[in-house]
Amino acid sequence: MLKSLIDRREDLIAGLVTAGLGVFILVEAVGYRVGTLRSMGPGYFPMLLAVLMCLLGAGLILLSKPDPRKDDGLPPAIADRRGVFLVTAAFLAFALMIERVGLVPSVTVAVFLSALANRNTKLGVAVILAFGTAAVCWFIFSFALGLQIKAFG
Amino acid sequence: MGDLFSNLSLGFGVAASLGGLGYCLLGVTLGTLVGVLPGIGTMATLAMLLPITFHVEPNFALIMLAGIYYGAAYGGSTASILLNLPGTATSAVTGLDGYPMAQKGQAGVALFITAIASCVGSLFGVVLLSLFSAPLARVALQFGPQEYFSLMFLGLIAASLVGSGKSVRSLAAVTLGLALGLVGLDLNSGAARFTFGVTEFYDGLPLVAVAIGLFGLPEIIANAGRTVKSSVNSKDISFRSMLPSRHQWRRSGMPMLRGSSIGAFFGALPGTGGVVATFISYAAEKKLSRQPEEFGKGAIEGVAAPEAANNAAVQAAFIPTLSLGIPGDPVMAIMLGVMMVHGILPGPSVITDSPDLFWGLIVSFIIGNIFLLILNLPLIGLWVRILSIPYNLLFPVIVAFVCIGIYSVNYQVMDLFVLLGFGFLGWGMKALNFEVAPLLLGFVLGPMMEENFRRALVVANGEVSTFITRPISGVIMVITFMIIGWFIYQGTRQSLTGRSQKV
Repeated sequence: MLKSLIDRREDLIAGLVTAGLGVFILVEAVGYRVGTLRSMGPGYFPMLLAVLMCLLGAGLILLSKPDPRKDDGLPPAIADRRGVFLVTAAFLAFALMIERVGLVPSVTVAVFLSALANRNTKLGVAVILAFGTAAVCWFIFSFALGLQIKAFG
Repeated sequence: MGDLFSNLSLGFGVAASLGGLGYCLLGVTLGTLVGVLPGIGTMATLAMLLPITFHVEPNFALIMLAGIYYGAAYGGSTASILLNLPGTATSAVTGLDGYPMAQKGQAGVALFITAIASCVGSLFGVVLLSLFSAPLARVALQFGPQEYFSLMFLGLIAASLVGSGKSVRSLAAVTLGLALGLVGLDLNSGAARFTFGVTEFYDGLPLVAVAIGLFGLPEIIANAGRTVKSSVNSKDISFRSMLPSRHQWRRSGMPMLRGSSIGAFFGALPGTGGVVATFISYAAEKKLSRQPEEFGKGAIEGVAAPEAANNAAVQAAFIPTLSLGIPGDPVMAIMLGVMMVHGILPGPSVITDSPDLFWGLIVSFIIGNIFLLILNLPLIGLWVRILSIPYNLLFPVIVAFVCIGIYSVNYQVMDLFVLLGFGFLGWGMKALNFEVAPLLLGFVLGPMMEENFRRALVVANGEVSTFITRPISGVIMVITFMIIGWFIYQGTRQSLTGRSQKV
């Protein structure tokens, strides 16, 4: 019994997540005014969607089959922790810096962090790439296109 | 017929002007570039270039964006054939036989046939587009909310059931997408839905950030750590080595035409598009071929047909977009978004109200395809050389451009967090074997579907049967339920015969 559950865990988790999201949307939707078919409130259509999601989630659980893939399911993207961590950090850094210190410093930091995500990139190369990209971005976006982004804080 | 010619000459005036030619060339060149480079999708490029299009006249902005879209469909096959690394999802099928051809020293021929097939497919799509869009739009002017709702319903059902092999998962993804599309202020009641107190969400989630998060981010992250160097010698591909023999010409003629028809059909259906069309046309050729065992080992039909299908689908996707205002895929949604930024309301009236925009776009497709033939035949060596740029130096620059592109759409930091959030969602979905494309399609159609659903039922006084009793809507609904019935039948037959397949 337990083994059959483990074999089918991918379908089971997918079904539980789907049904869970359905329940979540349902709870939210019922909080808005639902109304009737004749005059629908803001909650009616989301409620229909939520019910559908719960049904689909139940369907996934009932129809679950053993996973044909023999490996343990981690997609290749997750395997590379360094890449995930540093690219995420690069986007976060840009988001947190852009309105405080302007375009050039944020681009420099974002490019530097994401460059380090690849093991083959040497530190010096990353620094040069970071400053070079920042200079090009300043030229294109601030100088040539005149976007409403400050170049520096 | 006379009408068509006067329309085409009007379009020629727009597309052959200096600005039209310039932006068309810029678009197709950039499109080829991103198509060639694995790891940068069409969506990411569009996001990088959106800030530019806000400064340009709407006709030219659309000509350029469209150029990127179909240019990428051409370029995507290059890396697929030479390195077995498809530049775009749709070109993966081309690699099935293109890469073995390259290994047999026939890379030049494969690239040549690809370019010709792309051109044939594209022009086929453009002809259909110019013949059918205007009549379809005239019919669509009679459409009520029932017809619009039924059409979108058909599109979403077709998108999730056809070709994915994971029907329940795809339906779930579509439904979640529809719900995510409702985030923001409800236009009828003014209620804030699913905003959780974030005022930036009142206008809905930002489309570009959502799309890049789902498609672009996982791609960038998956490739960030890539250390393998591509080894292609551009000297191997001389123009002479590219010319196919007469036998090869004869073998690829019919597959190109069949591929074009299959592609145009699926492209014009909202929601299915290129990926499905390439797979189906490949399967069709394999079935029709007298030497099916050659497929996968370098059969030229396996290159010609999917490539024609892919490009025909790309052009045909403009039919529902321009004549009905229903976007068939995320790229089309972004095109409609650009139209709205410039104050053009998408829908059947675009063709009559802004004929210069519509016909200018069509003529620009023809010009753009000629540009692409030049870019992909005599200049192929250039693109092959670009493939040898080390990816580890390229992707940090892409990260910077994506950041700036997304921020500059609304100048809101929140959009960048939405990008990251949807990046993780896309990633989680992949981990659980869901596809993200149906989710995005649902996201785009969500608000339109709800609006038309509500209006239809107000008009019909709450009678759900209105979707069936109106003739056009009824026919569409019958087709939709036939598709659903067919899949349930297939599903039960498969589980009875015990063939295991993903739900």
